[in-house]
Amino acid sequence: MTVPRPYALLAEITYRCPLHCPYCSNPADYGGATASVADPEAASRSADSTTALMTAHNRANTGELTTDEWKRVIHEAAALGVLQVGFSGGEPLARRDLEELIRAAREAKLYTNLITSGIGLADHRVRVMRDAGLDSIQLSFQSDESSLADEIAGTRAHESKLEVAAKIRAAGIPLSLNFVIHRHNIDRLPQMIELTEALDAERVELANAQFYGWAFRNRAALLPTCEQVDRAREIATAAKARLAGKIDIFYVLPDYYETRPKPCLNGWGQRYLTVNPNGDVLPCPTASSAIPDLHFENVRARALDWIWRESESFNRFRGIEWMPEPCRSCPQKEIDFGGCRCQAALLTGNAANTDPVCEFSPNRVVVDAALREVNSPSDPPADWNYRTNPPVP
Amino acid sequence: MRTTTISDLTRPSLPKGVRLQLDSTTGKSVLLFPEGVIELNETANEILSRCDGRTLAEIIAALAEEYDIDGEALAFDVRETVTDLHRRKLIELT
Repeated sequence: MTVPRPYALLAEITYRCPLHCPYCSNPADYGGATASVADPEAASRSADSTTALMTAHNRANTGELTTDEWKRVIHEAAALGVLQVGFSGGEPLARRDLEELIRAAREAKLYTNLITSGIGLADHRVRVMRDAGLDSIQLSFQSDESSLADEIAGTRAHESKLEVAAKIRAAGIPLSLNFVIHRHNIDRLPQMIELTEALDAERVELANAQFYGWAFRNRAALLPTCEQVDRAREIATAAKARLAGKIDIFYVLPDYYETRPKPCLNGWGQRYLTVNPNGDVLPCPTASSAIPDLHFENVRARALDWIWRESESFNRFRGIEWMPEPCRSCPQKEIDFGGCRCQAALLTGNAANTDPVCEFSPNRVVVDAALREVNSPSDPPADWNYRTNPPVP
Repeated sequence: MRTTTISDLTRPSLPKGVRLQLDSTTGKSVLLFPEGVIELNETANEILSRCDGRTLAEIIAALAEEYDIDGEALAFDVRETVTDLHRRKLIELT
């Protein structure tokens, strides 16, 4: 099989974050099963730890790649063909060396995007990052106004995000907003679009929560009702037409309401790679928690080039040879690639199954059951659990 | 046709956040922008690499001279490409 070249690297430089959003896609156990095996210090600590959970937390938190290790990853990614890097997390601003990493990425000619909550972003740091060559910032919002937004974030955050947006615009950095949409904020889509206009952003993502990591755990609280989704779709379509040429609006449906799966990642190991805070290299950021039986390689032990081309984790679902029925004989197989491997694993227990969102999947009943649950008028929406941080050991 | 609405005196430029770059893997030019990459065809590359403050008419004239081709057909191609990139917010017209 010819191995394609990757286009984009998602650099999850830390899992630490000042927010506690219940829809976070970070692994809810901070990658206990996938934490670096090449960190001897963590390995020895894990032997003494009292609980498995604490072990996972300790390894995840102390295993963060160093500045030099990240620089090496960035250069190896560029050599492999990567053209874009997104610095994400957790909250990437929590790392003081972010500016240095942005500079390294620009030196490697990568297009650099910062994906941030904006919390604690001071004026001078915005300018330093701009001067380091940052190309664009994606700023997250939880809703359009403080009371709901702060409730979702589990901390006071909204007002300072408004200030941060103004600082970014003042520094002349292109700004995208990102709203994760769910049952508790989906009815405020019009106000979110108004906020995007007011903050002079060039682009907005109104993306329904995807159910992985913390979001999977909190699905019953987050999945919107059918009625909400229909209304949101109309609003997004109208806003798209009204603001065409001015603001790019990306509206992402919750895929549980689709009948065909999303073409996840444009195919496994085709265009994207993620490196998590500990240096594990993942075809997709949620793969480590969703597919625990797959072993992911670490940049401390292996060259990125080898991991992309040769590793079992990147080759397991590459191409179409691995597909079972009904994908194998489906005319859509090179359009949607069988959907999402993580979703198949989480909902059916086997990552090689057809994404159960697909109407042809024998497991579609699992998705329908989740939809019935949230659309039943007798059941009040469930409570959510806030995302917690990996504790400092 | 929409292509006729762009004035000869328009000065096309790359918007902030959009970068023109050589892709060392393919040897071809690409446009990089938030969350996206476009591989450029030859016409688009020839135009974009001349978006340095020149007017559309000047860009067309330069290309006509350099490649010794018919001005009218070239002007049509250039306008069509510029219109398309403008619609995708990958080129600014001032």
